[in-house]
Amino acid sequence: MSRPTYLLDRIGPDSHTLAAYQKRGGYAALRTALKGKTPAEVVDVVKASGLRGRGGAGFPTGMKWSFMPDPAKDKRPRYLAINADESEPGTCKDRVLMERDPHGVIEGVLLACYAIRATTAYIYVRGEYRLSYDRLQAALDEARAAGLLGRKIQGSDFSCDIWMHKGAGAYICGEETGLMESLEGKRGHPRPKPPFPAMFGLWGQPTTVNNVETVFNVPFILERGADWFRSMGTKASSGNLLVGVSGHVNKPGVYEVPFGVSCLELVDGYAGGVWKGRKLKAWFPGGSSTGMLPGSAIDVPMEHDAIKNAGSMLGTAALIALDERACTVRAMEVVARFYDHESCGQCSQCREGTQWLSQIFHRIESGRGRMEDIEMLATLSKSMAPGKTICALSDAAAIPTLAVVKHFKDELEQHVLEQRCPLADPHAAKRPAALAHSH
Amino acid sequence: MTKILLNGREVEADPTKPLIHACHTAGAEVPAYCYHPGLTPVGSCRICQVEVKQGNAPARIVVACRTLVVEGMIVETESPAAREVRRECLEFLLKNHPLDCPICDKAGECDLQDYAFAEGQGEGRSNEPRRRLDKRKSLGDVIVLDEERCVLCSRCVRFMEEVPKTPQLTVGGLGSRSVIETFMDRPLSGNYQGNLADVCPVGALTLKPFRFQARVWNLKKTASTCGECSRGCATTVEVLRAGEVKRVRPRYDADVNTWWMCDTGRFAFPALNVADRIPGGLVRRSDGWVRADAADTAAAAARLLGIERPAFVAVTPWVTQEEGAAILALAREWKLPAYMVSPAPNGLADDLLHTGDPAPNRFGLEQLGFARKSPAEIIAHLHQSSAAWLVGERMTALIGAAALEALPAHKRIALFDVLPIPFAALEVFASVPLYAERSGTWLNVDGIPRALLMARALPAGMPSLERMIGLVAAARAVAVAPGPVAPSSVAKR
Amino acid sequence: MVLKEALVREFDELLTHYPDKRSALIPALHRVQEENGGWISPELMEALAQYLDLSAVEVFGVVTFYPMFRIRPRGKHLVNVCHNISCDLRGAQDVLAKVCDLTGATPGGTSPDGRFTVATVECQGACTAAPMFELDGVFHENLDDQKIEQILGGVR
Repeated sequence: MSRPTYLLDRIGPDSHTLAAYQKRGGYAALRTALKGKTPAEVVDVVKASGLRGRGGAGFPTGMKWSFMPDPAKDKRPRYLAINADESEPGTCKDRVLMERDPHGVIEGVLLACYAIRATTAYIYVRGEYRLSYDRLQAALDEARAAGLLGRKIQGSDFSCDIWMHKGAGAYICGEETGLMESLEGKRGHPRPKPPFPAMFGLWGQPTTVNNVETVFNVPFILERGADWFRSMGTKASSGNLLVGVSGHVNKPGVYEVPFGVSCLELVDGYAGGVWKGRKLKAWFPGGSSTGMLPGSAIDVPMEHDAIKNAGSMLGTAALIALDERACTVRAMEVVARFYDHESCGQCSQCREGTQWLSQIFHRIESGRGRMEDIEMLATLSKSMAPGKTICALSDAAAIPTLAVVKHFKDELEQHVLEQRCPLADPHAAKRPAALAHSH
Repeated sequence: MTKILLNGREVEADPTKPLIHACHTAGAEVPAYCYHPGLTPVGSCRICQVEVKQGNAPARIVVACRTLVVEGMIVETESPAAREVRRECLEFLLKNHPLDCPICDKAGECDLQDYAFAEGQGEGRSNEPRRRLDKRKSLGDVIVLDEERCVLCSRCVRFMEEVPKTPQLTVGGLGSRSVIETFMDRPLSGNYQGNLADVCPVGALTLKPFRFQARVWNLKKTASTCGECSRGCATTVEVLRAGEVKRVRPRYDADVNTWWMCDTGRFAFPALNVADRIPGGLVRRSDGWVRADAADTAAAAARLLGIERPAFVAVTPWVTQEEGAAILALAREWKLPAYMVSPAPNGLADDLLHTGDPAPNRFGLEQLGFARKSPAEIIAHLHQSSAAWLVGERMTALIGAAALEALPAHKRIALFDVLPIPFAALEVFASVPLYAERSGTWLNVDGIPRALLMARALPAGMPSLERMIGLVAAARAVAVAPGPVAPSSVAKR
Repeated sequence: MVLKEALVREFDELLTHYPDKRSALIPALHRVQEENGGWISPELMEALAQYLDLSAVEVFGVVTFYPMFRIRPRGKHLVNVCHNISCDLRGAQDVLAKVCDLTGATPGGTSPDGRFTVATVECQGACTAAPMFELDGVFHENLDDQKIEQILGGVR
């Protein structure tokens, strides 16, 4: 595995401090850009690099920035919001960057602000990530004291403030318009689009929302060039990305890989193979919102198009592995419960549909399924998505449901025929009944 | 205006309003739960999905309440794709709905029931247990919440925030566990709570005074005007079969009240359900007051003002322009001053609708030529005059029973009001209909004509006030000199 | 004043981060909850509403939307056991059973001695170190029975 790396290279014992960061050349990209590059040039380099968003949708970052209105024509204040509300099940990559390399995040935020000419950024960190919050806050304090944040940064004309903002446990606030509502102190109800954030974002002003890992890439791109970045990954998806591998593997972890590495290598190589010497039965490629694929389809490049062609999505590149003894129905019972718990409740299809799917999976898994339930799972999912609701949470519940019906229908049928979970852990009966929610 | 092609027909659409407005204006029946024309559209219930095609782009499904109209847009509300997505959405909306229409006050005017019926979908495919929640949660004196029926459209939340601008409701909780709540179950306050039952598209928010009072299809609904202040909000007066007024609701009027009315006006209707009315009137004879038909009552009233001087005519501001004009014509013929009894402000004025002036036709009557007099001034005039006509519903209340009772017996008073009260100076009592039983016009605080329509038949033998005045006019020619009348005891009612 | 003086001073500074007052609501609620033993009372909601020029019901709507906010008192210590997919696959139910066993609390409830409230929560972002729980705001990862005993045994 002699692939070039950069994302996690700096991480060490004190890598969260300014001293350690600067020792490794930190803030050089910012200084260079402030001296020698216009914001438009920064956008151009990022465009040329082919950087795509790392938050799940994979939208080209440079293009997203260029959606911001021309500052000569639109004098309104403009904002950058950093989506650090990492909460897609299976995903914990941004946390590594925020806890271990917060100055790298901050330098990326400053460069993104410079590019879109924003003078204020908010880092919306999920409330549970206390260490991420504290480390970033400490790093911001250090940066401010060092003249890297605030008025006229490093003697340039560029002034920028970055504020930390803490979420409070709602998954939906990872949706960019839900995040903006939440930042404004409201219930995190996603907004209908249009209008889009670049025209009507935070407090109605032009806003760009970027993921942590996305902006973390920017200083590297500016320092080493678009060609260097394009030398890694694939033609359509350049650079390296952080992949989380969790579930039934020997070495779960967050790994840095170039786009296009085989998922087989991720499981068998990086993650040390399926645990207990078992075989891989199923896997989610990129968090629970992406459809499960059978273990037999594991040799597919970790890259947007390839995984799409395989019938799923790259999502947050959070691979969740299920071994041969795992129950895909139980997995979907958990996943469907999650979406029922997290639906914001605005759209009828999502509010009622996520509950309905959860109820059906729960019945099937507990031995009270009906054959017609399997078809219902599919038709309900098709009534919930795609694009039938304000945001994609409804889709996120429907997609894995359709996938399990497609790939593991026999397992669903077996549950119904036997009126029990054929794979249930014999110790399960001793467990307390977990409450769906305990507010 | 923007031209769009709606279901194959070119129609004009207001570009400042969402597509659903154009659909409704042109008569296309697009269902709506979260959308209400008087509130900010949020596009959350998703039931108003229609098919839209613009230029060469492929047709797509949009929610009509969050879509702007664009010149040349092709809109299909009844295409198979549009109907299918709405059917899907409806199935979700019905999943947890209790379907207790037989005991629901909203049945018959429920948007969910109507659409479920129209689409032939009385029940969904769900065999999951429905949400079990509080079915009769009191939200104060006016509103009861049935949490099970709620479809979480948030109209009520937005109403409170946007119309009276007193946020008191929220969607509480998250997702399928959401319910409509007040802060820690605090009762609602304010003078606009009744509107919540109107904006609720289902039977979740109902009016306590209307609970289990009537099936709405048995109510006869007549367009009318609220008589509780000088705003003159457009209303619908709803009468159960021929008798009781069961409900008064606001009726859309762009110039005056849009979709709303205040609770003071809405819940004034019990005063319209008056028992024991006298069809014609009472005329004083030597042995007391005796019932008289309308013609005899009119003749007695005519005699009184035809001869006694000094005298005057006073009306209450519930008298219509048409009635006022007829009364004024008589007063002028008799060369009598004509006054309007002016009630004092009632302290209910707000920034929304209530003017604080209880006089619905103050503007009109003053314009006709009635001089404004306070009740105290009228009482002073009564003491200085030999005779007077006091005309209009609420006259007794305005002047005060005590003031009338204090008048010396030799005064000769004709009182035209809804119910008689006995007092020594009362010579003629003429029964007048309530405003919900009359047709005519008021001019509101801004001079805008407000129409009254007869919402129920008058008691047999009771003429309209205009007719009564007509009878007086006819009778005044017949000069019958009145004999001296002895004070007498009170007629038994 | 229901809000402590020090907290108000903190919030005065917090308000400078945003172009409007309301945006400080969620960070402020966190601080109010921290200072109040892990829950937000009606009085505190009203006080904060007043401070931010909001109506109490607007604060209430926000508080009930976010799972991290509690409107009822809880035990002295809070154990949030993640039961989402990555943790479930690696024994989250066993962790929950063990935690309940050791604390005497039922899921969603508080132990009879009032020391522990145990809750199940959705994904906490520790998926590659599953199973996990969060005890009083600190993540404990790669849990097994021995580790759970050690952690909970060390709680005073």
